[in-house]
Amino acid sequence: MSDNPFPLSREELLQIYQSMRTIREFEERVHVEFSRGDIPGFVHLYAGEEASATGIMTHLRQEDRIASTHRGHGHCIAKGVDVKGMMAEIFGKKIGVCGGKGGSMHIADLDKGMMGANGILGAGAPLACGAALAAKYRGNGDIAISFIGDGASNQGTFLESLNLASIWDLPVIFVVENNGYAESTSVDWAVAGDSYVDRAAGFGMPGVTVDGTDFFAVYEAAGEVIRNAREGGGPSLLECKMIRFFGHFEGDAQTYRAVGEVDEIRANRDCIKSFSKTVISAGVLSQDDLEACDSKIVSLVDEAVSEAREADFPTEVDLLTDVYVNY
Amino acid sequence: MARTISYKEAINEALDQEMTRDKLVIVMGEDSIGGTGSPGEDDAWGGPMGVTKGLYGKHGNQIMDTPLSESAYIGAAIGAAACGMRPVAEMMFVDFMGVCFDQIYNQAAKFKYMFGGKAETPVVIRTMVGAGINAAAQHSQMLTPLFTHIPGLKVVCPSNPYDAKGLLIQSIRDNDPVIFCEHKSLYDIEGEVSEESYVIPFAEASVLRDGDDVSIVTYGMMVGKAIAAAAILAKEGVECEVIDLRTLSPIDMETVIESVENTGRLVVVDEANPRCSIATDVSAQVAQQAFKSLKAQIEMVTAPHTPVPFATTLENLYIPSPEQIVVAVRKTLN
Amino acid sequence: MAINCYFSSKKLCNQYKSLSKISSTVTVGLVANPFSARDIRRVVSNASSLQVSDRAQIVMRVLSGLRACGVRRVLMMPEKGGIIRLLKRDLQRYQQMGNNRFPELEMTDTPISGTVDDTFAATQAMVDSGVKVIVVLGGDGTHRAVAKFCGQVPIAGISTGTNNAFPEHHEPTITGLAVGLVATGRVPESVSLSPNKLLRIDINGGERHDIALVDIVVSIEHYIGARALWRTENLRELFVTFSDPEVIGMSAIAGLLEPVSRNDTGGLHVLMDIPEVAATLLQVPIAPGLIRTVGLQSWQRLEAGIPIILKQSSGTIALDGERELEFGTEDNVQVTLHENAFRTVDVGACMRYTGKHRLLVGAPLDLLPT
Repeated sequence: MSDNPFPLSREELLQIYQSMRTIREFEERVHVEFSRGDIPGFVHLYAGEEASATGIMTHLRQEDRIASTHRGHGHCIAKGVDVKGMMAEIFGKKIGVCGGKGGSMHIADLDKGMMGANGILGAGAPLACGAALAAKYRGNGDIAISFIGDGASNQGTFLESLNLASIWDLPVIFVVENNGYAESTSVDWAVAGDSYVDRAAGFGMPGVTVDGTDFFAVYEAAGEVIRNAREGGGPSLLECKMIRFFGHFEGDAQTYRAVGEVDEIRANRDCIKSFSKTVISAGVLSQDDLEACDSKIVSLVDEAVSEAREADFPTEVDLLTDVYVNY
Repeated sequence: MARTISYKEAINEALDQEMTRDKLVIVMGEDSIGGTGSPGEDDAWGGPMGVTKGLYGKHGNQIMDTPLSESAYIGAAIGAAACGMRPVAEMMFVDFMGVCFDQIYNQAAKFKYMFGGKAETPVVIRTMVGAGINAAAQHSQMLTPLFTHIPGLKVVCPSNPYDAKGLLIQSIRDNDPVIFCEHKSLYDIEGEVSEESYVIPFAEASVLRDGDDVSIVTYGMMVGKAIAAAAILAKEGVECEVIDLRTLSPIDMETVIESVENTGRLVVVDEANPRCSIATDVSAQVAQQAFKSLKAQIEMVTAPHTPVPFATTLENLYIPSPEQIVVAVRKTLN
Repeated sequence: MAINCYFSSKKLCNQYKSLSKISSTVTVGLVANPFSARDIRRVVSNASSLQVSDRAQIVMRVLSGLRACGVRRVLMMPEKGGIIRLLKRDLQRYQQMGNNRFPELEMTDTPISGTVDDTFAATQAMVDSGVKVIVVLGGDGTHRAVAKFCGQVPIAGISTGTNNAFPEHHEPTITGLAVGLVATGRVPESVSLSPNKLLRIDINGGERHDIALVDIVVSIEHYIGARALWRTENLRELFVTFSDPEVIGMSAIAGLLEPVSRNDTGGLHVLMDIPEVAATLLQVPIAPGLIRTVGLQSWQRLEAGIPIILKQSSGTIALDGERELEFGTEDNVQVTLHENAFRTVDVGACMRYTGKHRLLVGAPLDLLPT
C-alpha cells in the first residue's frame, strides 16, 4: 500500500465507499421489488447520484439538518438513517422509520437531522432556512443543507429562500442536484438563464459548480462551502451536475431520453466506478477490500427486504395516532 | 390584578410575557418591528396595526422583520419549530395564505403523522381575519374553514381581550401548529384582562349567556352580534344561549350538544362564506349527534357566497348582523 | 446575388464589390465557454461569476465588430450552457426589427457533452472548415483547449474566467473589429499576429502529455479534487511561458519575481517550499482578492527546447491553474518550453495600424443591401 494521497483516511474512504454502495444497492433493489408490484405508491430512485449525497454528508455532524427532495433515499442513507427501517417504510410496514405512515416520499428521521424527503418540490428550501435560523440563533455552529432539483429551482419557494438566506445571512447551503431532467422536461428548456449559480449571484450569494459524478470534486467543494457557512461566512449555492440512472419515478419508461443514453451513462459516468478506480489505483484500498464491503451490503439490503416483507402493516389503532401531540 | 385593556394590547402582552419566559419564543413577520434597514425610527410600526409595538425594545433579536416572502419565512418558522424553536410568525392577512399554504398544510400539519410521530412543530401563525374596515375582497376574508379542515392544524379565534391573551399564551405553549386568528375589527375593543400570565385551554367553548329557548353558536366578531341579537330577543321573551366556540380545531362540541339537548334549537352564526363553513360543520355534527333533541330545523347565518365588497353599504350587508340573527332565531320558533 | 451600388464614384463601387467577394467567403470561429468561472474560488477568494447573460452580451459585441468589417459568417461551438440560447433569441429579435448588424451564426457539427472535449472537437471542425481566426471566450483553460487544436489559425482571446493570465484585456467590440480586419486581410500579418510560447509536459516519454499556455504548477496535493489551486503552502514548482507582474494567479509568483514578457525568449522556472523553511518569501495575488505568502527556494530562466525534469517526485500538476494530472515516484515527468507554438491576434497593434492608416475612414467596409 502506498501513502494515502487523499485528505481522508483509509477507514473514511472505506466508509464513503460503503455509503455510496449501500445507496446504489438499496435503490437497485427497490427498483426490482417495485417492478414485482410489492411496493405501493410512488418511488423516485437516486441511483447514479451517490457522489453528491455522500460528498456532502461526509462533512456533516448529526446535528446539522438536511431537507431533502422527493428523491430522498440517497440523502437518508448518507445521513445515517437506518437502512432496514427505510426499507420497511417503503413497504409501508409498521416497523418502518415513519411507522409506515409516510412512505418513500416522506421518509425522515429527525433524530439524525434528516428533516424529510418532500413530496412538494421546493418545499424543503424554506424549511432548511428555518433550521439554519435556529442554528444561528443558538450560535452552535450547526448548518443546514437544502437539496433541490434542477426542476424545483424554478419554484418560488427556492428563489424566496435564496433571498431570505441572503438577507438574514443564514448558515445554509442550497445544493442543486442537476440531473438534466425535471420529470420528463429538459433543463435546457425549463431553466431560463441556464445557470443556477447565476440565480444565486442575483441575490449576492456565491455559487459553485462541480462535477457531481466525481466524489472528490464534490467533497472538496462541499468542504469549503460548509466550512464557510459554519464560520459565519453565510449561505452559498452548490450545483452538482449529475445523472440519474432511473426514471423520474418507477414506472417511467424514460422515452424522453435519447436511445442508449442510460446505457452510456451507466458505463461511462458511474460515480462509484470512478471512485473505486481512483482509490484502487492510488493503492489505498484494494479490489478485495471493496468486494468484501459489497457482499456485506448486499446481505444487509437482502435482510432489509425480507424483514420488511415479513413485518406487519400498521393497523386501525395506528390510523388515528400522531396527528397532534395532544388534541 | 385585572384591568381594562384592548384586544390588541392583550395580544402584545401575551407575546411579551412569553418572550420573557422562554428565549426560544421568537416573533417574526412583515413589519413586525417595522423600519428594518430604513433610516428613520426602529420599531416604526410594530406590525401593520401596531400589535407588536414595543417588543423590539424589550426583546431585541428575539423579534425580526421579514421580507415580503411568505413561503420562505413561514416555511422558515416551521423549519425552526421542527428544530426545537417556538416561533410565532405573522401572516399579515389570512387572505395571503394562498402564497404560503403549502408550508402550512402540507408541511407543518403533516410532519408528525408522516414521520411516524417523531416530529414536533410548535409553531404559531398569527393572522388577521375578517371584514369591517373596507379593506375589500383580498384583505377581509374569514378563511377559518380552510384551516379547520386540515388534520394536524389547530385553529383559534378569540372574540375578546381576555380570551385573546389566554388563548395566545396557550397557543405558544402548545406543541402543535396553531393558526391564531385575530379579528381586525376587534383590535380596539376593550375588556378586563389579568396582568399575570394565564392560559385558556383549547376545546373549551365559553357560554356567554344562558338561555333555554335557542342555542346560538358562533366565534370571533360574530359573538358580539349574537349577544346583541340575544338582547333584542330577550325583550320578546326569547332567551338565547350564546356559545363562543373560541377554538375551531379542536372544537368543543360537547358544550354545543349539551346546549342543544336543552334548547332543542340551533342557530349557527359564521362570518365565513356559507359553503363548507364552520356553520355547515357545526350544523351537521349537531344534526348527527343531537337529532332527536331538535325541535326545529337548524338555521345558519353566514356571509353570502360572494367576495367581500368594498363599499360601506355593501360590506355592511355582507357581514351578518344582529337583525339577521334575530330573523333566524324566529324561524326556529315558528 | 446582385449588389446595388450606392456610390456616385465607380472607383468606390468597384472597391466595394471586390470587398464583398472577400467578405462573403470569410468565416470566423467562436468558442464561448458558459462554464468557466464557476469553481470554488467564488467562495475561497473574491472571484466574480460572470453571468451567462453577460457572456452573451460579450459575444454580441464581438459579432457586431466582425460584421462591421464584412465578416458575415461565424462558426460557433455548440453548447447548452445558455449563451447560444440567448444569442439566437437576440439575433432573431434584431432580425424581426429589421436590424442587420450581425453575422449569420452557424454551429459546428460536433457533440455537446459539457466537457472540454466539446472544445477540442469544435476547434478542429473550425480549422477544417477554414476559419480565418478563432475568437475564444473563457478562462485560461478554454484558451488552452483551443490552442491544442488550432494549428496555424490565430486565436483572439477574451477573458471570462477567474484569473485570466493568458488573454489580454480589451473591449470585446474592439476585439471583434480587430479580428474582422485581420480575417478580411486588411491588416498585414506581420502587424496583426503575435507568436506565442507554450509549455509541454511529458510523462514517461509521452505516454501522457499535455500543454499549458501560461503556467505549470506542481503541488504536493495528490488528487485532482475540485481542480482549482489556492493552498500556496502545497506548491513546489512553477514553470511559466511569460510572467507579467500585472496579472493574478500562479504566474504572478514569477511576475513579481522576474518579469518576462510574451515577446521575450524563454520563460521562468521557480522552486518553492513551505514559508517556514523557504529561502525567501513573496506576497502574491494568487486569486482575485486573495494575497498569500509563497515560500521561494530559487528560480532561473527557462530556455526553449530544453526539457527540465521535475524536482518533485510525486503530486499533482496544474495546467494554467487547474489540477489536471497526477504523478507518482515511478513516473518520469519533463517540462519543455516551446516558442512560436501558436499565434494570437494583437488587438492593440491591429487597432493602432487601423487608426494610423485610416482603414475605417471612407466607404463602410460592408454596406447593407435593402
